[in-house]
Amino acid sequence: MYGADVEQIAIELSEEPEKLADFEARIARGEKIEPGDWMPAEYRRQLIRMISQHAHSEVVGMLPEGAWITRAPSLRRKLILIAKVQDEAGHGQYLYHAAETLGATREEMLEALLSGKAKYSSIFNYHTTTWADNGAIGWLVDGAAILNQTMLARCSYGPYSRAMVRICMEENFHRKQGQEMIIRYSQGTPTQRAMVQDAITRWWWPTLMMFGPHDADSPNSGLLIRWGIKTRTNDQLRQEFVNQLAPDLQACGISIPDPDLRYDEASGNWLFGVIDWDEFWRVIKGDGPANAERMAARQQAHDDGRWVREALSAYAAKNQIQ
Amino acid sequence: MNAKQKAALAEYLIALADDELILGHRNSEWTGHAPILEEDIAFANLALDEIGHARLWYELAADLLGVDRARFPDQQVFFRPAADFRSLQLVELPKGDWAFSMLRQYLFDAFEQHRLTGLSESSHMPLAEIAVRVRNEELYHLRHTRAWVTRLGLGTEESQARMQAALNALCPYARGLGAALPGEADLPLGIVPESAALYAAWLDEVSAFLAEAGLKLPGETALAETERRAHSEHMAALIAEMQEVARLDPEAEW
Amino acid sequence: MSDTQWPRYEVFQQEAPDKPVLHNGSVHAPDIEMALLNARDVFARRPEASQLWVAAAERITSRTREELAAGEPAPSTAGEPQTYCLFGKLAQQAQASLLGEVQAASGAAAIATAQTDFEAQKVLRWWAVPLAALLKSDPAEADPMFAPAREKTYKDQAEYPVVTMMRKLRAGKRLDE
Repeated sequence: MYGADVEQIAIELSEEPEKLADFEARIARGEKIEPGDWMPAEYRRQLIRMISQHAHSEVVGMLPEGAWITRAPSLRRKLILIAKVQDEAGHGQYLYHAAETLGATREEMLEALLSGKAKYSSIFNYHTTTWADNGAIGWLVDGAAILNQTMLARCSYGPYSRAMVRICMEENFHRKQGQEMIIRYSQGTPTQRAMVQDAITRWWWPTLMMFGPHDADSPNSGLLIRWGIKTRTNDQLRQEFVNQLAPDLQACGISIPDPDLRYDEASGNWLFGVIDWDEFWRVIKGDGPANAERMAARQQAHDDGRWVREALSAYAAKNQIQ
Repeated sequence: MNAKQKAALAEYLIALADDELILGHRNSEWTGHAPILEEDIAFANLALDEIGHARLWYELAADLLGVDRARFPDQQVFFRPAADFRSLQLVELPKGDWAFSMLRQYLFDAFEQHRLTGLSESSHMPLAEIAVRVRNEELYHLRHTRAWVTRLGLGTEESQARMQAALNALCPYARGLGAALPGEADLPLGIVPESAALYAAWLDEVSAFLAEAGLKLPGETALAETERRAHSEHMAALIAEMQEVARLDPEAEW
Repeated sequence: MSDTQWPRYEVFQQEAPDKPVLHNGSVHAPDIEMALLNARDVFARRPEASQLWVAAAERITSRTREELAAGEPAPSTAGEPQTYCLFGKLAQQAQASLLGEVQAASGAAAIATAQTDFEAQKVLRWWAVPLAALLKSDPAEADPMFAPAREKTYKDQAEYPVVTMMRKLRAGKRLDE
């Protein structure tokens, strides 16, 4: 339906054709849609879905790496890791505000996360089993996220695009510190080399799944692309990721756990094997290795913090400071 | 300074560094688990600052001992047995609830202000220069922790009760701040401030401030833990965890 | 007030004394002092601030160019005039920047005045913020507030020379060569 003309889409979405045409013309001119501007209800709904999902991913994403802060093996790595997890909290904060400009309150979004209604990136439902996993998350997971986020930094919704510009800048630090760790350890002692190989072996496939289902199975893509929210598809981004990572990991002497991986001269692409979509859906639906643990940790922080938040609200109310 | 005095100052600085390191380590445990997202960010900043300061003090100690300043901090942190750390029990105690962590940070920061002001007048110039830098960062910590202590002290009945309980628990350990640091007695005048004098000024300041926040310092009857060679039962576990990965391969460049 | 939904404060930031004051985002906070502290930790984690201002979102009056073009009843001029800081978004990609101050009896009146005062600039969206509603970081405290970020070079991606490292590995060299 989304190759269709604006009249037809207006009927499908019960929007006024004239308003919708104006809106699409603004996007075509490269204008940013701002809070308070007219937008189709479906545009608002899709953005809230994407932004809140992204915000939740940052917040839950603090946990797998945060678990290693107390064990980081040098002062430098410890500082880097704390700063990185701190950035993730910052990104969550920017994104909750971006979603709020569309009318979703932080309270509603938190409630949706804690009740299990809201989704977040399923990658964070895997365990970080060794220290080197932090390097793999930086290089692979953050590297994958950056491809998506660079695209979203150009998206048509002003507040989301501005949040993304800032996030991308900071994510580059995340990716590079992870890559630096993996490169060094891959040239390091036998213990370190074994540790990075094991980490990459475990994180490779879950990272490829991060880009989401194949384009054919991605129901939202058409409208998102038409309205300038996304400009590239899941499969395009996934291919670019493999093209970037495969030669670099090989240059480090790290093997990628995919017997079908090979360079295709004709297309210039690195072709890869079949993704285990059963695992993908299982983890998304809550049956990943650490789903329950992640939610329990968030719930605990929320419950333990209630008296603190209440105290601050009470103080502000008593003192009428604004 | 002669060699003996240099060694004494190094010992003093390592104790300071150990305090900062262990406090930063404890604070970093909140990252991802704070009561509100904004505070995940803010408390991580405090941890980053404290650990950064620890590194500065270890490096300065290395200079005094004539050893490699690039390697010395990690050797101290990751390859020293728990018994050889000279941190106060105040900073080793588990993070407790938010009241406990915030109040500990406040008490520590308020003391640091006095100590750093003294150190910034040290006749050992490299020490004075770093003290000025560190004091600058600690000023912001104090603003942050004071804002929090006031709000939690005057917030709700529950927050007030939790803060008072935290204060009662922390006070005996906080007295350790006033004990002379290792090496202090062997240093000539003008290098470092006298800890006992700092303690008196600190006590005046925090009693007044805490009173405004509806909190009362407990009497002096409780046990005071001031000996830096004696560690709490929590220290060995903390150090084992901190050193776990580094010790997997002591030869490795982590 | 619920315990997970605090009021929103808008954050304005000046990167350096010779740079414009820009709207940079929002924070939630129980009160304005905490809003300023949160703004510092959220937006100045890296060396990019010399001043921060915060104001409660509900004290800000906002008008888009379209809203003004559609016309609205003349704003009331009754009441004590006060100083408003006027911010304008000047381009699609831009953040709102501080244009100047006007005296007016209300936010709407301030924007009406500003349209004439700053008419040379094509403003897409106006914001009028009462000066009295702004909490500004104290210039005397700029160092403790913003200098610490400068020391944290490990937050800068330039600290990680991965491109050079990969080049060496591809050339079959060691990292320390």
